[in-house]
Amino acid sequence: MTIGSPGRGARGPGFFATVLRGYFRLLQILVAALMGLMIVPVTLQIISRYTGLIPRYIWTEEAARFCFIWIIMLGAMIAVREGTHFEVDVLPTPRTARGEAILRLTVYLFMLVFALVFVRYGWQYARFGYTQTSELTGMNLLFIHGAYLLAGLTWVAFLGERIVAAVAVLRGDESALAALRGDPDVAR
Amino acid sequence: MSPGEVGGIMFGIFGALIVLRVPVAFALGLACLPIFALDDRLTPVLILGEMTKAYNSFILLAVPFFLLAANLMNAAGITERLIDLTKCMVGQFRGGLAQINVVVSMIFAGISGSSTADAAGEGSIIIPAMRRQGYDASFTVAITACSSVIGVIIPPSILMVVWGGVMNVSIGALFLAGFIPGILVGLSQMAAVWIYAKVRGYPVYARATVGEFFVALGRSFFAILSPVIVIGGVVGGFVTPTEASVLAVLYSLAIGAFMYRSLGVGEIGQVLYQTARLASISLFCIGTASAFGWLLAYYQIPRTIIGVLARYGAGVTSVGLIEAAVFLFIGCFIDAVPAIIIIGPLLAPAAQTVGMHPIHFAIIGVVSLAFGLVTPPYGLCLLIDCHIAGIRVSDAIKDVLIILMPMLLALLLVILFPDFILFVPRLLMPKFV
Repeated sequence: MTIGSPGRGARGPGFFATVLRGYFRLLQILVAALMGLMIVPVTLQIISRYTGLIPRYIWTEEAARFCFIWIIMLGAMIAVREGTHFEVDVLPTPRTARGEAILRLTVYLFMLVFALVFVRYGWQYARFGYTQTSELTGMNLLFIHGAYLLAGLTWVAFLGERIVAAVAVLRGDESALAALRGDPDVAR
Repeated sequence: MSPGEVGGIMFGIFGALIVLRVPVAFALGLACLPIFALDDRLTPVLILGEMTKAYNSFILLAVPFFLLAANLMNAAGITERLIDLTKCMVGQFRGGLAQINVVVSMIFAGISGSSTADAAGEGSIIIPAMRRQGYDASFTVAITACSSVIGVIIPPSILMVVWGGVMNVSIGALFLAGFIPGILVGLSQMAAVWIYAKVRGYPVYARATVGEFFVALGRSFFAILSPVIVIGGVVGGFVTPTEASVLAVLYSLAIGAFMYRSLGVGEIGQVLYQTARLASISLFCIGTASAFGWLLAYYQIPRTIIGVLARYGAGVTSVGLIEAAVFLFIGCFIDAVPAIIIIGPLLAPAAQTVGMHPIHFAIIGVVSLAFGLVTPPYGLCLLIDCHIAGIRVSDAIKDVLIILMPMLLALLLVILFPDFILFVPRLLMPKFV
């Protein structure tokens, strides 16, 4: 997927698009790995209760919940770039490219407001987490609270990519329409 | 600000944003912001705090695990085996493949806790097969989507896990209470298929021999054993629902990788990714819906609702009917999970006041929301199956509405006869009911 209108310099949008795609790929790998990893602590918990093979670790529940919260937030980041967050089709889809771009731009700007709330208050929340440690594992809570700040920043980047595409369509570049509609490789 | 004003602002903004197609999870969070701006005692950091509190639940972990188990079973090719088995059971009736469609959904519901996994997994195989046999596209999509809603009614059920976790009801008892309504909904659909098949002259299969039945049973035996492990584990008190969901995952992995040898490392990686992204979309909604719900509770809006209902002298049946109507309506527009988190706590005090059993209350909610999976504009199972068949939602909607009629009758029975629903949990888990 390439975005940005041609003629704005080969380095600018192309470079950012490549970085964002790489970052997106990293998020995909992380979320799949955490999903697999999350099975481990709960399995250990069952094994330790019914057999004497391993001790009853105290950290299993917390480790599982830690994976869980990161899966949710990473998934929420991925879904913004894929355009797969649940939305409702009550209004008819605009017939013109321009109409579609205006509608999508409105949606992205509202989402951007929420993303900026996550950045602004996520920072405060992360700093608050930094002062606390978990009672069970001694882990600094920044590792959990920081997920919101990262989500906010990631959304700003992914939404920025979409907003650039919407503006390009409004300027008459209809080839950016595909980028606006979401990742074509994703089955909705 | 009065509860009415706060409720008006929040639901008004939420409604306007989702009409504009702002994603539901974001619309829920955005609808809270004006209240934070207007009330000096509150700060938006509370949204993040409420989200963490919602996610910090060991019970909710069962949601991605049940979805993972279902997706692994699908990837392992369980559907073909179940179709072969059910062909020997109901194939000889008129509209055989459509009857098979319903019965496979009922069996798969016992293996999986997710309706969307059924709509996608079973749909991708049975929809092309039904089309080849000459079934109309709209009926094919309608019966596949409608039967997949049984996935969250017959246990295990992701919706029951969320309900039990949020509202503090025994998930084991909820699972048991889902059996009778699930079978009722399935039978109501089989009746609808029977009438359709008579009118339209749909094809039948030759009656299977007893030998063929046992061969098919042997081929799908290990898959059918899964509910025994999961439901038995929870109801017998051996494992928590979350642990049971992990057992389901391990069992599906073992079946797919070693027994049926249809799952390789590449497939497993794909299934892990698809499950994580699908589950996190719903789960993320849980967070913002919890913040939204917390704000409603902070302004004591649930108490206001009890007051309104009390004025009409409501009883168990009328509260049940109101609950079903509210969930059916809201289920048209938003996903079942945020609907439970927002509406459940709003109505629960009213149900308690009239002496409604919490499990009866839960089952009415779950069944109504399950029906929401096929009601447009936002009916996820219908959207999935329309996509598979390559038709528009508007093409399938008439048949969906026809099949919904007997299903609504089944829901009415659930509302009217609580003792009927509570029979199984009272029998097997008397301590919790």
